[in-house]
Amino acid sequence: MRNRILTVTGILLVLGIVLYIIGVRSTKLHISVAAEPVFCLGGVRATLETCASGFPITNSLITTVIVLIIFFIVILAGTRNMQLIPRGFQNTLEVLVEAFYNFAQGVDRKNVAKFFPFCASAFFFMLVSNITGLIPGVGSIGLCVPTAKEAAIVAPIADVTMAEEPDGTADFFASWPLACEKGTTLVPILRAPTADLNMTLAWALASVALIQFFGFQALGVGYLTKFFNFREGFMMALVGILELISEFVRIIAFAFRLFGNIFAGEVILVVMAFLFPYLLPAPFYAFELFVAFIQALIFAVLSLVFMSLATEAHGGHHGETSAH
Amino acid sequence: MSDEGLRLIAAALAVGLGAIGPGVGIGVIFSGALQAMGRNPEAEGTLRTYMFLGFALVEALFIFALVISLLIAFGIV
Repeated sequence: MRNRILTVTGILLVLGIVLYIIGVRSTKLHISVAAEPVFCLGGVRATLETCASGFPITNSLITTVIVLIIFFIVILAGTRNMQLIPRGFQNTLEVLVEAFYNFAQGVDRKNVAKFFPFCASAFFFMLVSNITGLIPGVGSIGLCVPTAKEAAIVAPIADVTMAEEPDGTADFFASWPLACEKGTTLVPILRAPTADLNMTLAWALASVALIQFFGFQALGVGYLTKFFNFREGFMMALVGILELISEFVRIIAFAFRLFGNIFAGEVILVVMAFLFPYLLPAPFYAFELFVAFIQALIFAVLSLVFMSLATEAHGGHHGETSAH
Repeated sequence: MSDEGLRLIAAALAVGLGAIGPGVGIGVIFSGALQAMGRNPEAEGTLRTYMFLGFALVEALFIFALVISLLIAFGIV
C-alpha cells in the first residue's frame, strides 16, 4: 500500500517536472475577489464583474446549486427506505451526523437539540462547498471574456503577467487550451461558494439572527438587559454597550473568517502554482484540505457556543430569568 | 518612491506585521495544549479538538492580514 502511494507520487512528480520543462504552466495570474457572473439572465454584461442588465448568474451561484443538488441526492438516497437498524449508506450518514451531534453535546448538553439543525447544516454545507474549491478544474476552466479597457482600472481585478520566456516555449503554449488570448480574461464557470463574500455574509447574518432569536426565546425580554443594563452602575452600562457592538462585530468576523480562509487558500494555491508548478502546491493543497474542514467546524462550533451563551441568563441574579 | 513600490511595501508590511500576533498566539495555544496533554494524557482527544479550534481562530487573524495584503498588492483597494 505504502509502496503504491510512493510510486504514484513519484510518477506524478516526474510527469510534473517534464511538463514544467516543456513549458506547460500558468504564465498569467488572475485573481478576482468578487464572484464574476458567468452569464447575465436576460441581460448583457457590463464589465468582468458586473451585469449591465438582467440577473447575474455568478460562478459561485452555479457551484452552490450543484452542491445543493449533491446534498439532495445524497440525503434522498440515504433516507429512501429508512430502517430502525441502519445499514449501508443510511448508516454512513447517521455516523456522520451522530459524530457531530456528540461533539455538539460537549459544548451545550441542555439545548443541543435546539441548536443542532442550523449548526449541522452549516457544517456539512460548508465542508462540501469548501472542498469544491479544491477540485481540479474549479476556478481554472471557464470562458474568455474581453476585458474592458476603462473598466480594468476601477474593477477589482488584478492581472500579473509573467515576463515572457526569452525562448519560444511560452509563446508556443500561449495557445494552450486553458490560456486566454490577450485582452480577454478567464471567467471560471465554477468557484467555491464560500469563496464568495455574499455567501459567507448570508450565513453570518442567519447565524447572528438565530443567536438573538434563541436568546429571546430562552430569556424573554430579559435578554435585552444583557445590552441595556443601567441598574448596576456606569461600568455595567458600558459593558452592555460593548456587548451590543460585539454582536455586530460577530457578523463581520463570521463572514470574513470563512471567506478569508477559503479565498486566501485559493490565492495561495494559485500563487504557488505560478511560482513553482506541480511540486510546491502539493503541501499547501494538503493544508487547504485541513483548512476546509476546520473552518466549517469553526463556523458551526462558534454558532453553537454563541447560541448557548445567549440562552444563559446574564449575571445569574436577574430575578425570574435566571435558570438556576 | 513610485506608487507601485509603496504598494508592495504596504503589502509586505501588512502580512509581515499581521503574522506577529497570530504567531505568538499559535505558540501559546500549542504550548498550553501540550502541557495539558502531558499532565493529563487521557484528555488528549478533547484537548486536540479545542486546540485546533483555537488554532483556527487565531490563524483567521493572520488570514485577515493576508487578504488585506493581497488586496493591496493587486491594487484592488
